[in-house]
Amino acid sequence: MTLLSVQNLTKKFGGLVAVNDVSFDVEEGEIAGLIGPNGSGKTTIFNCIMGIYKVTDGTISFKGSDITDASTHEVVNTGIARVTQESNPIGRMTVAENIRLFTLPNDILSITGGAETEEIEALAARVGIDDVLDELPGSLPHADVRRLEIAKAIATKPELLLLDEPFAGLNQAEIREMSDQIRQLRDDGVTIIIIDHNMRGLMQLVERIMVINNGDWLADDTPQAVAENEAVQQAYLAGTEVFE
Amino acid sequence: MSNVMDRVNSTLGDRYADMNRLQFGLLAVALIALIIAPVWGGSYLRVLALGNIFAIFAMGWDIQSGYTGYISFGHAVLSGAAAYTSALILTHIAPDISVWAILPVAVLMSVIVGLLLAVPTLRLRGPYFSLITLVAGLLFYRGTRTASQYTGGEQGLLVGRLTFDPVLRFYITLVPMLLIAAALLYLSRSNIGTILIAIRENEAAVESAGIDATKFKIWSFVLSSIPMGIGGFLFAHFDGTVNPTDVVLIDRSVEMIAMAVMGGMGSILGPIAGAFLFVGLRDGILPAFLSGTERWLALWVVVLFVIVFARDGLFRKLWHRLGDDTEGDSE
Repeated sequence: MTLLSVQNLTKKFGGLVAVNDVSFDVEEGEIAGLIGPNGSGKTTIFNCIMGIYKVTDGTISFKGSDITDASTHEVVNTGIARVTQESNPIGRMTVAENIRLFTLPNDILSITGGAETEEIEALAARVGIDDVLDELPGSLPHADVRRLEIAKAIATKPELLLLDEPFAGLNQAEIREMSDQIRQLRDDGVTIIIIDHNMRGLMQLVERIMVINNGDWLADDTPQAVAENEAVQQAYLAGTEVFE
Repeated sequence: MSNVMDRVNSTLGDRYADMNRLQFGLLAVALIALIIAPVWGGSYLRVLALGNIFAIFAMGWDIQSGYTGYISFGHAVLSGAAAYTSALILTHIAPDISVWAILPVAVLMSVIVGLLLAVPTLRLRGPYFSLITLVAGLLFYRGTRTASQYTGGEQGLLVGRLTFDPVLRFYITLVPMLLIAAALLYLSRSNIGTILIAIRENEAAVESAGIDATKFKIWSFVLSSIPMGIGGFLFAHFDGTVNPTDVVLIDRSVEMIAMAVMGGMGSILGPIAGAFLFVGLRDGILPAFLSGTERWLALWVVVLFVIVFARDGLFRKLWHRLGDDTEGDSE
């Protein structure tokens, strides 16, 4: 079943075409990578899906319903969550409170509700931060802050998870660990799209790679085929950066 | 007393930070002192009653501005809407009606004015929201003069008091103040308070959590307008006159902010303390030493000092100091 369908998506900022007539579908249960050089429009696509940017042209639908003009909280409540490139936890709330915020009902009359302690512990355990629940985010190492971002996203019970550069700033061991956690999320039934600069971190993780360059759709294939694609290598300055 | 404290702590549960002995003692002493104020208050009973009303205003401002971070410079518009509603009904529509019967109408008018302000403006970010609330205050103030054939212009309208008995008048202000404090404390420690604080700290994260931030910002305005309306009604009938200087002048809005900030904004309890401090200085302590204009000057100098040297508020500072004492790790 097609979970996410992006059709003829175009996003312009004034005269700059950031995303140019991009179309792709993501099937339920897929784990896909979206790569491209800096400034190629990857994050802009995520922002359009999440309702952060108003699209210039095209449609986005999720589970068959049109979400092109939906606002961010509506998109989240249909079942899409996104982890941004920058971590932005609330500094004065503990890790547990930060996660709990993402489980609160969108209801002005709801005094109680939201995840109980055990549920928050379980969410944190999925990314390995259940031992720092009472800490403030500011006191955590970078990798744990990134894990907190993923815990917040999965707390909204998404069917589709958009990860924007989840490996940035992590060392090799941390990347391996996070790859395992992401794979586990997929095995638990979450469809996943991961943005990265390059393919190295993604090769072992994803089954499909989509490439965008200067807003144009360049390739959409298996990791192996994309790695050998000449247009992709061209975009990455004759292939030097693809495997960086 | 520690028995009572344990019961209070266990009844309130872990949503409220557990109070220690000193913190509980401070609240208990303050509460008892207020309840028996007619015994010790003497000629200061009037100041304390005014303190109750301004505490309602400061809390009303706090649940909206202090919690969401969308700072309103025009909250006197909300209390003014209730005060003028009461005055206009009594003067022009139903002079013989029971004053209390007007209260719900006055509060409703505050909520309507609050929504008129909130719905179009809370989508705006940055200084625009604050600027619009400021302009709303100026509009209301000028409007009372433009419509002076109805509002009595600068002289205002005589509306009558709720009572001439100073003790009864004190309790008429104390009971609503305590009920509003209890309600707002409960809400601010619930999911609603968590979401409002999250809006202040990181509005984008709130949207990412699937929560409609705009809806909750408008809700905070409603939660604010209700106490502002009750306070405005009580204030109108406190001395029995409703005039633009006492009710809607921009100074009144700024005073509400000053009280909340002096006590510690975003805490509900802090603004109560700030209101009593501010009104106590203005009407109780400073008049003993200074004349009219110097008194105001001195008052604002004190406010300035508090904001510069105790940015998080005096009451919050005291509260945390008491909290640190029993844990033995005072800063």
